[in-house]
This record gives sequence, C-alpha cells and structure tokens, in this order.
Amino acid sequence: MIKNVLSDIGGVGLYGVISVCLFFIVFSGALIWTLLQRRTLMNEMGGLPLNDGETPKFNEGESRHE
Amino acid sequence: MKTETFRYDNRIVRAFAIATMVWGIVGMSAGLLAAVQLFWPEANLSLQFVTFGRLRPLHTNAVIFAFVGNGMFMGVYYSLQRLCKARMFSDALSWINFWGWNAIIVAAALTLPLGFTTSKEYAELEWPIDLAITLIWVAFAVNLFGTIAKRREKHLYVAIWFYIATAVTVAVLHIVNSLEVPAGAFKSYSIYAGVQDALVQWWYGHNAVAFFLTTPFLGLMYYFLPKAANRPVFSYRLSIIHFWALIFLYIWAGPHHLLYTALPDWAQSLGMVFSVMLVAPSWGGMLNGLLTLRGAWDKVRQDPVLKFMVVAVTAYGMATLEGPMLSIKSVNSLSHYTDWTIAHVHTGALGWNGFIIFSMLYWLVPRLWRTPLYSLKLANWHFWLGLLGIMFYAIPMYWAGVTQGLMWKQFTPDGFLQYPNFLETVMQIVPMYRLRAIGGTLFLVGTIVGVYNLVRTMRSGVFEPDTEAQAVVQAEASGAAEHGHRWIESKPALFTLLATVAILIGGAVEIIPMFLIRSNVPTISSVKPYTPLEVLGRDLYIREGCVGCHSQMIRPFRSETERYGEYSKSGEYVFDHPFLWGSKRTGPDLQREGGRYPDAWHYNHMEDPRSVSPGSIMPPYPWLYTQTLDTNALPARIAALRKVGVPYPPGFENGEAQKQLAAQAAKIVVNLRVGSITNAAPNAEIIGLIAYLQRLGTDIKSAPAAADAGDGSVPVAALNPNPVR
Repeated sequence: MIKNVLSDIGGVGLYGVISVCLFFIVFSGALIWTLLQRRTLMNEMGGLPLNDGETPKFNEGESRHE
Repeated sequence: MKTETFRYDNRIVRAFAIATMVWGIVGMSAGLLAAVQLFWPEANLSLQFVTFGRLRPLHTNAVIFAFVGNGMFMGVYYSLQRLCKARMFSDALSWINFWGWNAIIVAAALTLPLGFTTSKEYAELEWPIDLAITLIWVAFAVNLFGTIAKRREKHLYVAIWFYIATAVTVAVLHIVNSLEVPAGAFKSYSIYAGVQDALVQWWYGHNAVAFFLTTPFLGLMYYFLPKAANRPVFSYRLSIIHFWALIFLYIWAGPHHLLYTALPDWAQSLGMVFSVMLVAPSWGGMLNGLLTLRGAWDKVRQDPVLKFMVVAVTAYGMATLEGPMLSIKSVNSLSHYTDWTIAHVHTGALGWNGFIIFSMLYWLVPRLWRTPLYSLKLANWHFWLGLLGIMFYAIPMYWAGVTQGLMWKQFTPDGFLQYPNFLETVMQIVPMYRLRAIGGTLFLVGTIVGVYNLVRTMRSGVFEPDTEAQAVVQAEASGAAEHGHRWIESKPALFTLLATVAILIGGAVEIIPMFLIRSNVPTISSVKPYTPLEVLGRDLYIREGCVGCHSQMIRPFRSETERYGEYSKSGEYVFDHPFLWGSKRTGPDLQREGGRYPDAWHYNHMEDPRSVSPGSIMPPYPWLYTQTLDTNALPARIAALRKVGVPYPPGFENGEAQKQLAAQAAKIVVNLRVGSITNAAPNAEIIGLIAYLQRLGTDIKSAPAAADAGDGSVPVAALNPNPVR
C-alpha cells in the first residue's frame, strides 16, 4: 500500500514529531508573548468593542418594552 | 489632539442583513424538502432539478454561503468599521462584494439544480463561478485590509485577527481546491485524482468549516457578546491564545474525514492527533465567551440577543467536543458514513451559525432602525422553536447514526452479517428521518417568526443610513510619532504574514509529500482509464449527485469486505478526476458494484428502485431514459481528461472514441434484450450510467494473480491486504 512506499522513502515517521514540536513552539511563543503583555494594555484591548465612538442616541432599555 | 468626525456605513450592513434573512429561509426550505425526500421520495415532485442528489448541494451551498455567508459579511461590515473607527475603505468595493456575492448565489441556485457540479463537497460550483468567487473574495479582502490601514484606533482587536485569518485562508483554500481543467462552459475536471484529490478536498472541506463557519464567527462572538453583555471579554489574553492555537491546529485536521480510507496511514494519524488537540483552543474560546457573562446572567433571561448567543456558544462547545471525538479512529469507524455526521454538522450549522446570526440580527435591527424590537414575545417564540428544532433534528440523527452503524457491523454467532441487506438498515431508521423533518420544520417556522418580527421592527423604525462617530486622530506631527505610526501600520502586514505562515504549514506538510511521491504510488497494472461511454456515464453520476448517498470507498473492516467485497486501494483511483469516495451512505457503497447485477437489473432499478428493492428510499430517475447522451461533448471531455493526466492516446477523441462508445452502447442494449428489455435506446443516458456502474471496481478483478508487470506497477496480490477487522 501507499503507506509502505512512503515509510520506505524515509523520514515519514518524523512528520508527526516535527508537527507536534512546531505546534509546541508556536503555542509556547503565543503563551509567553501573551503573558508578557501589560495588564493595562490587555484591559484597553479588551474594552475596544465597548467604545466605538458613536454619538450616543439609542437607549438600551427601549428594546424591552414588553 | 485632534478629534475627527466621520460616518459608519449602515446601508451595506442592512443589505447583508436582508440577504441573510431571505437566503436563510430559502436554504432551510431546501433542506427541509431534501429531508422529506428521505422518507418520501415522491417529494421530488418528479422533477430532476429538485431530486435529492441535486437538492443536497443546493441546500448546503445556500445555507453555508448564502445564509451564513451574508450573515458573516453583515457582522464583519458592522463591527470592522466600529473597531477601526473608520468607514469602510471603499463603498464601491462594499457593494461589489454584496452584489457579486449574491449574484454568485443566484448562479449557484440556477446551476446546481441543472446538474452543473464538480461534486466536491461545498465546492460544487463550476469553474466560471469559481473564478467569480475568487474576484469577489479579493474585493472583500482589499476592503478589509484597506479599512484596517486607514483605521483611527491604533490597536487591532482580536475580532479583526479572526477576520484577517478568514480572508487569507479562504482565498488559499478556494484556489487550491478549485484547480480544474474546463471541458465546456459548465464542466470541468479536477487536476487532482483519487487520493490526492480526496486529501485536497478534505483539507478544503474541513477548513471551509474552520475558516468560513468558525473563525469569522468567533471574531463576531468576541465583538457582539461583550457588546450585548456590556462588559469586556472575560480574558483578552485567553482570546489571543485561542486565536493562534486555533488557526495553527485547524489546518492539519482535514484528514480526519478520510480515516480508514486509502489515504496513507501517516496522514490519517496526523489528522487525528491534531483534531483531538483542537478541543483545547475551542473550549478555551467557548469558556471565554460564556465567562464574559459572569455577573450578567440575569440579562440572559430577558435579552433575546444574549439568549441566542449563549445557545450559539454552547452549541460551538458541543460541536467542538464532538468533532475531536469523531476524529478518533475507533469512534470514526462506527460514525463515518452514518447520520451521526449529519447530526454533528447540524449542531454547528443550526446551533452555532444559525443562532449567532439571529443574535446579531436582534442586536443590529433595532439599532440600525432606531426603534425597539417589535415583539419580545415573538423573539422568545423564535428562540424556543429554534432550540426545539435543533433537539428534534439532532437527537433522531444520533439515534439513526448509531443504530445503522452498529447494524452494518453486526455479525451472527456463525460469522455471517446479521443484516446483509443494506436496505434493512435503512428501513430501521426511516422513522428517525420523519422526526428529523419535524425538527427541521420547527427550526424553519422559528426562523420565519424571527424574520417577521425583524421586518415589523424595520417597518416601525426609521433606518439610519450612516451613523456619526468621533475619534481622536493619531498624532502625525513629530518624527517620533511618525515612526510609531509607521510601526503600527506595519503590524497588520506582519500579523497577516504570521497568520498565513501558520495556516500554510499544516497544509504543506500534509499535501506536498502526497504529490512529491506521486511517481512512487503503486499503480495497479490492471487499472485502466474509463472508456468513452463510461466517461459520459461517470459525468451523469456526478450530475445526479449520486455521491451524496453512495460512497466508493470500502474500508478495511471485515464488516465491509463481507458486504461489499475487496477493500479499496489507492491505486484504483488514479484516473478518478474528481474522486467520488463520498462521505455518507444513505445507500450502499458502490465501489465493487461492477458485475454484481446484470445490466437489466440496473435498467429496472434506476427507472423505479422499488420495483427491484421494495421499501427503497432511492428516487426514480425516469429522465435518464428520455434524455440522450451528450456525445458531442465527448471530444472536449477526453481532451480535458488528457490534460489532467489520463493517458488517452493522441487524437483518440477524433472518431475512435465515438466508435468505441457506440460499440459499448450496442453491447449493453444486447445485454438488456437478454434481460427482456427490448425498448432501450442505445443513445439514452441510462446506457452510459449502466456502463459506468458496471465498470466500478472491476479493474482489480482482472489483475494478474502474481508477478510484476515489469513497468514498476504492483500486481494486486502483492499489495498488503492487512484488513483491520
């Protein structure tokens, strides 16, 4: 079967190992980078959707008239 | 610090909102009609255009690209402007995106019922439409990146990251999977064959789910959930990790659609491992969403926006736990080809995508029309009808899937199949198909109630075409600030580059070896290209969407080899452009169909399946008996197949092909006479289809028992049998 040919042409066993290592590096990198970020920046970033610069006109409570 | 006043474009959001409502009803109705046909085939109204095989891709395309696609653009166009504190880069591009996308959908709604299809799931549209999709997607991407470039907010919120990943990855997926050679205005052949085509298709198919149905909606969740709850996301740090882990892992998971098939084992294992790992970032995202509501759960009781959102995020959590579970090979050996998969995808489609779109609509419409929602009571009706609809859909499908999967594998104590007749396993689950249609009806009725409510809301308000907003302009005066500004502007580009690398690695590692070793794939010496009549017959098989219900891939299990015959080898598919392995067995596998029944059986069966298989839910195909084979198309098709690598001799299509076709058709007509069918026309479409069906899986039966052919090909007997169970 095709898998026999592949295992014979060499290195296929490494694919899984390399892939998991790659993921580990990317994941660790993202984790470390994230943990190094300042708390104030994270709070600022997290608050972005709540500040869209719209001139306030709409009253939240209006949609619940029943 | 200078403050600038500008206007957000609401018109484009309105257009996509109306489109998603209209297409939602259309797509769900098509799904309901398809569901009804599975227990009442006559519901095809005797029309070839809406028979299950052609209706199914219409349903999936309408729901994915029309309903969910327009819903996605609606949310992205609303949130992107506000997160960037800028109007869209170009209004013209926004409208090109809207009209182009919806024209593509109309083209799909016309061509799929007519049978113009590539047969590759969620990529069925033919090559001219593929080109149009590419252009419109580029328009969207330019508009997206243009808006990001002119933003007044220096930070890119995580939602925008998800949008960027979507724009880049969908482009890559669509282009790579749609590489095909045209053989007419609405006919093409995939440049890949067999195993390669399967791997590319499911790399695409899985990641279409990932990057069209999931990542953009996670971005929308990260925007609309904090908005509706009026509090920031639970953990912004978690959202960053969620993003990178998710996009890196997702792209590897495609091979889990091909477990136990002829795909090389290493690729299957890689796909399985990464699929299982995916549960971590997925649940990280789900928990991040749900925990955002801590302290605000009282709002969930009243606010339809949050109600729908909570169910959507929960459905995301359930589907992303189930997905990795189904990717475990031993679970997949039971679930694959059954209705379990159908239950799984509908948890995602109805629960996750459907409910999050409704949530956004209930948020947007009152705000854009500056009026309260018309009726909270109707919104509650919509919610409960939708939720019950999901339950009535999913539970019977789980029941049906597990029941049928177990029946397929059941042996008697003497070692024979307990249910050797496939039809018996189908009839067992027909009641579940009826229940599923009730679930679908409930969901559709809920949607109609919701749309009515939203339309009444629109009518009672006044639409605001632009919303005025203000933002502080980033400093530009000093050199240092300029440097900072440049640095910020370069970030989206760097970010996009990193995201692109992350999504390319997985695809490259899995796909490239499959092509590099192409010359090493053991071709089976007895596997030959299809004859001209079989080519036309195969095209009819594709046109009628037979692949929607019949697989051509026998897995190496004893329960399958007993039922269908020798398990499938990768070398058998080297001339299959496109591959037709299928993903669902509503009917039996057809890989070894050739020679199983006489020609006359197929003739009678296709005309009225129940005349030979009482109780069958397969629809009749009377039009195949009155429509004539399109032999004029043959030269273009043979030439196109040669271009993609099928070794037809030069000039074969000029005369010789037609001669062979006529001879084979005449032989089938003679065979039919033996079976007491005297009125068969040699140029009827059914003749071509019979030729193809009788060829299926027969090549390896004529293989030499031993000895190398001397041309590097491997005789069948030398292939490792190695059946798993």
